[in-house]
Amino acid sequence: MDLFVQLFANGLVNGSHYALLGLAFALIFGTTRITHFAFGPVYALSAYGCWLSAEKFSAPLPLAIVAGIATGALAGALAYLVVYRPFERKGSPPLVILIASLGLFIVLENAIGVAFGTDTKVVPAPPSTVFLWGPLVVTGVQLAQVVMLALTGALLWLYVTRTRFGKALLAMTDSPDMARIVGIDTLRVSLVAFAVGSAIAAVPACLILVKDGATAHMGFIAVFMAFVAVVVGGVGSLRGAVAGGLALGLVESIGMAKIPTEWQNSIAFVVLFVVLLVRPTGLFGGR
Amino acid sequence: MRRLQAAAALAALVVWAGAALGQAKDPKAYKIGAILAMSGQASFYGTVMSQGIKQAVEEINAKGGVNGIPLEAIFEDHKSGNAQEAVSAMNRLITINDVKLVMTSFTAPTQAIAPLADQHHILLVNGGGVANSLVGVSKYIFHIRSLAADLGRAAAIHANAMGAKKLAVLHWKNDAGDSVVRAVQPWWEKAGGTIVATEAVPQGATNMDTQIAKIRASNPDAIALWMFNPEVGLAVKRIRELGMKQPVIGIEYTANDAKIAGALGEGFLFVNDYFEPVPDQPWSLRFAQGYEQRFKSKPDFYAANYYEGVYLIAELLKRARPKGGDYLDAEVLKKALYENPKFDSVYGGQMTVQPNGVAFKRVGLFKVEGGQNKFQKFIEVK
Repeated sequence: MDLFVQLFANGLVNGSHYALLGLAFALIFGTTRITHFAFGPVYALSAYGCWLSAEKFSAPLPLAIVAGIATGALAGALAYLVVYRPFERKGSPPLVILIASLGLFIVLENAIGVAFGTDTKVVPAPPSTVFLWGPLVVTGVQLAQVVMLALTGALLWLYVTRTRFGKALLAMTDSPDMARIVGIDTLRVSLVAFAVGSAIAAVPACLILVKDGATAHMGFIAVFMAFVAVVVGGVGSLRGAVAGGLALGLVESIGMAKIPTEWQNSIAFVVLFVVLLVRPTGLFGGR
Repeated sequence: MRRLQAAAALAALVVWAGAALGQAKDPKAYKIGAILAMSGQASFYGTVMSQGIKQAVEEINAKGGVNGIPLEAIFEDHKSGNAQEAVSAMNRLITINDVKLVMTSFTAPTQAIAPLADQHHILLVNGGGVANSLVGVSKYIFHIRSLAADLGRAAAIHANAMGAKKLAVLHWKNDAGDSVVRAVQPWWEKAGGTIVATEAVPQGATNMDTQIAKIRASNPDAIALWMFNPEVGLAVKRIRELGMKQPVIGIEYTANDAKIAGALGEGFLFVNDYFEPVPDQPWSLRFAQGYEQRFKSKPDFYAANYYEGVYLIAELLKRARPKGGDYLDAEVLKKALYENPKFDSVYGGQMTVQPNGVAFKRVGLFKVEGGQNKFQKFIEVK
C-alpha cells in the first residue's frame, strides 16, 4: 500500500509535467494544425534561457524562470515566423511543413549543443525541501510541478474564455477556416499560439532544470510525451491534453508496481495504441 | 657473356626486391581514427575523450612525433552509441583516410566495427566500452578500461565488507548495465546476501522516480548503481532527495555527475580505474596540468584513458617499425604488444595487457567528500 501511495504521487507529478507539455503542444497544434516537432528544442532552449540568467547573470531563481519563459515565447514565435510561415504563405502541404519542423528540430538541438556545450546544466537552486507525509515523500520541486499545472491551466482557461484574443484562439482550434471567414486575423492568432504555447512549455522546462538539470537533448522525450498526451486526450481539446498527460503519468508510474521497470518506456506506446484502437478520437476528442 | 649479364641483373633485382620488402613502409603521418560520441545524449564522453587524444597527439608531435613521423587524429561520430553510424565512420576511416589504428568507445559501436577491424587488419583500442561482450569481439581489440562487470564485482566486494546483506540494484537497461547485473548477482548470493530489488532505466533516462520508489519499498541495506554518466548523478540526487540514508555505491562518478548531484552526492562510493593526479605520480600530474591549461577543466579518467591510449599506440609503432614491411598491420602490432604487454600508465605505475586483451589497471574505491573524490583503498577483484 505504501508503495502504491508513493507511485500514485509520482504519477501525479509526472502526469502534471506531461499535462503541461500536452497543453502547450495542443494549443499550438490545435490552433495552427502545424505538427511542431521543433517544440522539443524550443522547450530545451527555455531551460537554457533560465540557466543562462541564473548562472551567468546571477539572477534570482524566480527571475531566471521568468527569463526562461520569455526565451521560450520568443523562440516559439520566431520558429513560426521564420520557418513555418513562409511555407504556409506558399501553400505548402502539411507533410512539407512537418519535414521542415523535423529539420528545425535537428538544427536547433545541435545549435544548443554547439553554443552551450554538451554537459548537463544545473542552476544554483536552494536545497530541495522534502515533505514527509507518512509513507509519502515529495520534494518541493515535485509539488511545484503539480501546482504549476493548476496555475497555468487556470490562467490559460481565463485567457481563452475572457479575452478577445483567447476566444480567437479557441475559435481557430475549432475551425481555422471558419475563423478566417468571420474575420479573425489568423496570422496574429497563430503567432500568439506559438508564443503562448512555447511559454507554457517553458514552465515544465525550467522546473526540470531545477530538478534534474538541462541538456541539449532534453526536448526529444518532451515532444514525444506532449504528442502522446495530445493524441490520448483528443486532438483539438485543451482539457483533453491535460487529461491525457495526467493519465499517461499515472499509468506509467502505477503500472510499474507489478510490471518490471524495464518496460516503463513502452507504457506510453501501449497507452497510445490502446486509445487509438478503442477510441481513435482520444478521451475528449469529439470529431 | 649475355647470359652472365642477365643472371647478374636478375640477382640484383632479387636483392633489391628483398630489401624493399623488408624496408618499413612509412606513411607521411600516423593516422589515428577515433570513433566517439561527438554528438547526442552522451556527447560529454566524446568531448573529454577527444580532448585526451588531442593532448597526447600534441605532446608527441611537439617532441618530433613517433619514429620521426607526426601523429594525426581523425575524429568520427557514432552519435552516442549508434552502431550503424559507427560502421559508416569506420568505413570512412578505412577507405577515405587509409587509417590502420582506431580508438573506439561504447559497447554497441565497438561490437559493430569489430568485423571490419578483423577484415582490414585494423588495431582497435577501446578506452570506454565496458560490457563483457567486448572481450574477444575482434582479434585486434585491446581494452584499456576496466570492464563494468569487474568494477561491479569490486563494488559488491566492498558493500559486502561493509556488512550489507540486502542489496538493491538500479541499472542501465543495456549491455553494459546488464553485464554487471549478471556478474554481481551470483557472486552476491554466493556470499550470503540477497538482491531485494533490481530496477532498470534506459540509457538517457531523466525520470527514475518509479524505480527509486520501488527500491525504497524494498528496504535495502545498500544500493548499487550499475550505470554511467549522467544517470549516476541523477540517481544519487533522487535517492537522497527521497530520504534514503543507505550507502550508495557505483562504478563511475564523472565531473558531470558531481555537478548534477551537487551536495547530495556527499558520501557516494564508487569503484573505478584509479586515476588521481598527485605529486608522486609525475606523468599523471603533468597530464592533468596540461589538460587544465588546454581545456579549462579537470581531466577525468575517460580523458586519461584516451590520452594514454595514444601513448600505447605510439609505443607499439616504435616497437613494430624495426620489423619492417607493413608494420601498421594489426597482426604485426599485436605481436609487438605481447612481446612485452606492460606499458606505462598515466594512472601511475604500469598497466599490463592480459591475454584476453583487457589491460589490468589499478581499481580504486573512492568516496565523495567535500565535493571531491577521495581515494579510499585499492580493491582486488577476485
